[in-house]
Amino acid sequence: MKEVQTFRPRLKVLGKQQVDAIHASALEILATMGVKMEHPGALAMLKNAGCEVFNEDWVKIPAELVEAAIKTAPKKFTLYDQNGNPAMPLEDGNSFYGTGSDTNFTIDVETGERRPTVIADVANFAKLVDGLDNISFNMSMANAQDVPVKDIYIHAFVAMVKNTNKPMVFIADSGRDIAVIHQIASAIAGGEEKFRAKPFMLNYSEAISPLRFPETIVDKLIFCAQKGIPLCLPSGSNAGGGAPVTLAGAMAMGIAENLAGLVIHQMTNKGAPFLFGPNVSVLDMKSAVVSYGCPEWSLSQAALADMRDELYGIPTWAYAGASDSKVMDAQAGAEAAFSIYSAMLAHANVIHDMGYLEYGSTSCLEMVTMANELVAMSRFFAGGIPVNDGTLALDALKRVSGTPGSMFLMDDHTFEHFMEAQFTPKLLDRSRYDAWEGAGSQDMYKRCNVEAKRILDEHEMEPKSKEVLEQIDNIVSK
Amino acid sequence: MSDYKALQEAVLKGDIKTALEQTQKAIDAKDVARDVLDNGLIPAMDEMGDRFAKGVAFVPQMLRAAKTMQECVKLLQPLFAEGDITSKGKVLIGTVKGDLHDIGKNLVAMMLEGAGFTIVDIGVDVSPDKFVEKVKETNPDIVGMSALLSTTMPAMPETIEALKTAGLRDNIKIMIGGAPVTEKYATQIEADSYASDAGSAVAKAKELLGIS
Repeated sequence: MKEVQTFRPRLKVLGKQQVDAIHASALEILATMGVKMEHPGALAMLKNAGCEVFNEDWVKIPAELVEAAIKTAPKKFTLYDQNGNPAMPLEDGNSFYGTGSDTNFTIDVETGERRPTVIADVANFAKLVDGLDNISFNMSMANAQDVPVKDIYIHAFVAMVKNTNKPMVFIADSGRDIAVIHQIASAIAGGEEKFRAKPFMLNYSEAISPLRFPETIVDKLIFCAQKGIPLCLPSGSNAGGGAPVTLAGAMAMGIAENLAGLVIHQMTNKGAPFLFGPNVSVLDMKSAVVSYGCPEWSLSQAALADMRDELYGIPTWAYAGASDSKVMDAQAGAEAAFSIYSAMLAHANVIHDMGYLEYGSTSCLEMVTMANELVAMSRFFAGGIPVNDGTLALDALKRVSGTPGSMFLMDDHTFEHFMEAQFTPKLLDRSRYDAWEGAGSQDMYKRCNVEAKRILDEHEMEPKSKEVLEQIDNIVSK
Repeated sequence: MSDYKALQEAVLKGDIKTALEQTQKAIDAKDVARDVLDNGLIPAMDEMGDRFAKGVAFVPQMLRAAKTMQECVKLLQPLFAEGDITSKGKVLIGTVKGDLHDIGKNLVAMMLEGAGFTIVDIGVDVSPDKFVEKVKETNPDIVGMSALLSTTMPAMPETIEALKTAGLRDNIKIMIGGAPVTEKYATQIEADSYASDAGSAVAKAKELLGIS
């Protein structure tokens, strides 16, 4: 038979008219209300480009500047691993999952208790990520309380690079520590230009919704643009708190904030890599927490992927694999699965926060381990159904039906194809009852606990060279 | 004394127009302003607080009820006798130095205001010196400090230290909150109270001042 193309299952939530209307609203916000730009340099740059400055540091940004920035922003770029190998080609709706940033608490893997995070947790999460096949990038997962606050992000960065070679998303406080982190990254890559050519890390910064750009945030944005460090700038445009309660309005505002950042970014360095997307979750109207398990966030980022495909073309920032539950229970599993599948089906690009519990306040090694499996499951689903002579398998049917007593299980076709034709879970248990009972009647949490501990015990990352480690220590001790 | 059921219902629904009409009706009937407040508006807000605590009312409903009550109080204002309105207490509130986040702090301020406290909101990125200066200036019963980031949390003990040095610590109660803050941390830095969310902030504030 002639070749049949495999359709990649795709979740689509916005029509073109909706896309255009949200974009128009974002442009209107920037042109008529403007943003509060607390960075004098950026403010001057915008003013020189013809923007109207008012009320001291508010600035209105006209549509032409925004459209120009969208035009020059790269429509695809690649994050490399720390050894310089391409790891995350951000194009064509490829999806990559990773962990999340600073949590204040973690579920202790030995005791199961929630406790404040320490620097050893950052190392452990990095090591676990390094050992999990479906987690593509690493974030700190812990705001360590046992290191000096002043250099907290430098300590976190060092703990990460010493425990994983995967791409990373990192946080910095200001122009000071981001420069140190960039020095370390350059040492790992073998020089600043080598890092620029093959960046392995992406900076995560947040504007403050509504419409506020603190000076330190813009400092980092400009630094990243100059040094070719890819960056994302999601604001906390959660519906009902930082942004209007209706998703369309929250998206329009969050997109406006992203576009304002993009304008400064591209004016600083045309063609520098920028990852697009606000964090549009909801503020829960009973507890006033920003939800990490709600359907709205998944819906808004699927909508953002539609806006990428219809309009912007710029790879997107997203979240999944997190929960509002305080423990890794059925709620955590349900919420993690929902967001992981929908992010995959929406073809979101860089998807973070895997392994969060308690609306992002607590990290959990077991949760990351479960999320790893759920990504595999959804990746299988999103692969669709290849249709060809081999998969239609008429030959196999002919053999089996023509041989009395035969069954597909013993046919060669099964032997040859079962590995790729089926999804084989590792932690989702399908064993028979007696076998399950015999293995200790473990639930999913317990199985993930055992697996996480096994990886922490057994996994060995490819070590960095002695020279690189020495350079890192020298930079830090300066 | 009039029956304030219709007024209370309007406050609970956040129906400002009807609540104002009902308040005006009471004024026209020569009700004592203090009675309208004590037997009409405050029990309605208490009921709303109850509903919120039980999880049957939502934050926006609570805030709207508080706004409705405040509008009615404005109407009553000229009719109060001297010393009539006794605020539950004055709370000075701000986000600590280095921290620019204010949604949580604002929410706490709104809830406290709805519960009858007088609020002095001194904004975000408030230095220890600024806290000291504002405490001197406004003489609050409670000082509330908020931090979203664990990196800015150390500004809390710094502020407490500054208040001690200025000799103001003993005159005030200190209450802290925010994502990284815990009960244990509050004890450690010798704050008087910690509230985990805006709803419990009201209860904690009342507890601190020994009122119900």
